Amino acid sequence: MSRVEVDRDRCVGSGVCESLAPDVFEVDDDGALMVHRPEPAADELDGVRDAVQQCPARALALAE
Amino acid sequence: MSVNTPVDPSQFDIEAIDLSDPDFWAEPPAARHAVFDRLRAERPFAHFAEPVMVGADPEGEPGPGYFAVTRHADLDAISSQPLIFCSGKGAVSIQDIPADLNEFYGSMISMDDPRHARIRRIVSKTFTPRMLEQVIDSVVGIVDDVLAEARRKAEAGDGSLDVVADIAAPIPLRIICDMMGVPEEDRAEVLAASNVILAGGDPELTDPVDPLGALINAGITLAGIMERLAAERLARPTDDLTTALVTTEVDGEKLSHQEIASFFILLLVAGNETTRNAISQGLHVLSENPEQRARWMADPSLDKTAVEEIVRYISPVTWMRRTATQDGEVNGHAFKDGDKFLLFYSAANRDPELFADPHVFDLTRNPNPHVGFGGHGPHFCLGAHLARRELAVTFRRLFEICPDLEITGEPARLRSSFVNGLKRLPARLTGER
Repeated sequence: MSRVEVDRDRCVGSGVCESLAPDVFEVDDDGALMVHRPEPAADELDGVRDAVQQCPARALALAE
Repeated sequence: MSVNTPVDPSQFDIEAIDLSDPDFWAEPPAARHAVFDRLRAERPFAHFAEPVMVGADPEGEPGPGYFAVTRHADLDAISSQPLIFCSGKGAVSIQDIPADLNEFYGSMISMDDPRHARIRRIVSKTFTPRMLEQVIDSVVGIVDDVLAEARRKAEAGDGSLDVVADIAAPIPLRIICDMMGVPEEDRAEVLAASNVILAGGDPELTDPVDPLGALINAGITLAGIMERLAAERLARPTDDLTTALVTTEVDGEKLSHQEIASFFILLLVAGNETTRNAISQGLHVLSENPEQRARWMADPSLDKTAVEEIVRYISPVTWMRRTATQDGEVNGHAFKDGDKFLLFYSAANRDPELFADPHVFDLTRNPNPHVGFGGHGPHFCLGAHLARRELAVTFRRLFEICPDLEITGEPARLRSSFVNGLKRLPARLTGER
């Protein structure tokens, strides 16, 4: 099972991950990143990998 | 919903389009968008000659020109491949300017990894929502102060005010200056200098004879203010962002005072003018769409989608540049090493492939995959979260404190290809609540 990891010291709440995998990530009004599905479904993994790669703060990782 | 006055795109000759002509950027938005619609549909990688820089060496070789990227898919493809499409040759200038000057004005925006990553890593640490909590808490107070002052000033006269000078400019400026700890007495100078840097050749805001000299002087002014402040905070730390910037270490690395000064210029340019123009033009668009204004005013749950739509619709930063580092192909377009691309966010944000009725301003638009904060990739706006909060708070408080604000005339637009800005927007407070 793959697991999403967030480095809270790096996350700036840009919302890029939410735009790529909206069912997995959501940035709330305070800018805090909520991970709705820390263990994404198989069909969500492509979006999550894009999010990991495109995160401008390099705050995301996917432990596979 | 209402549509920004449409211009029939078949009415003009595509061969005559010249994005390098400064007069094009003085056209009303609807006319510019009609041109972009045409380019996006027919010539998504249209090539234009390098614009002439006032004050540039007349003997100098003109550059090779640039490709105007207008489709959302192409823009995002380029943006998300920073190794192939670099920023280090300049992200905010079409002309090649010396790398040190580029970095001085653009900081990490005009850098590539690993240097970009090093600076971004350090400043990111000071931009996490946790670090910004205090700043964001102060936004409501600042907005309320500015609006109260605007009201006092208007009511002391005939009720009229200038949205830009009295509301849109002071809010982000005060937020950034508070964040950085810039003393009150330096703030007017900070505003004037940042105006010059972003004048984009608009003769009203800069020295019409020597814009390059004015630009350099403005940069020196800002760097001077910031270097002094950085030294003070190092000696006597406070809880502001400057203190965090001078003390934050990542992997044993700290920013130099010069790097902090450049970052300050970037913050002013990227965080001040953009938010200002989103506020002023947001108010203008709302006045053109009174039924949407009424709807948003009555329903705070629309704040989130409304703010995104303002950023999409206005696209405060019109373009950023990328330069190819090798030969290749992107979405069927062959390019060569050294080719310059201008990523037209304003055009991609009206791409009908992604946005239904792209010219319609719709506060409920969702999803809204706009590139108003940049495309995907390492240069995505660091301050997106702060900007979103600033805009949400500003409009909400405006509805509450100044529900009687009425736009009374046409805006004076900045003649700039780079920043979609207003110089003035006349309004009045009717006193009817």
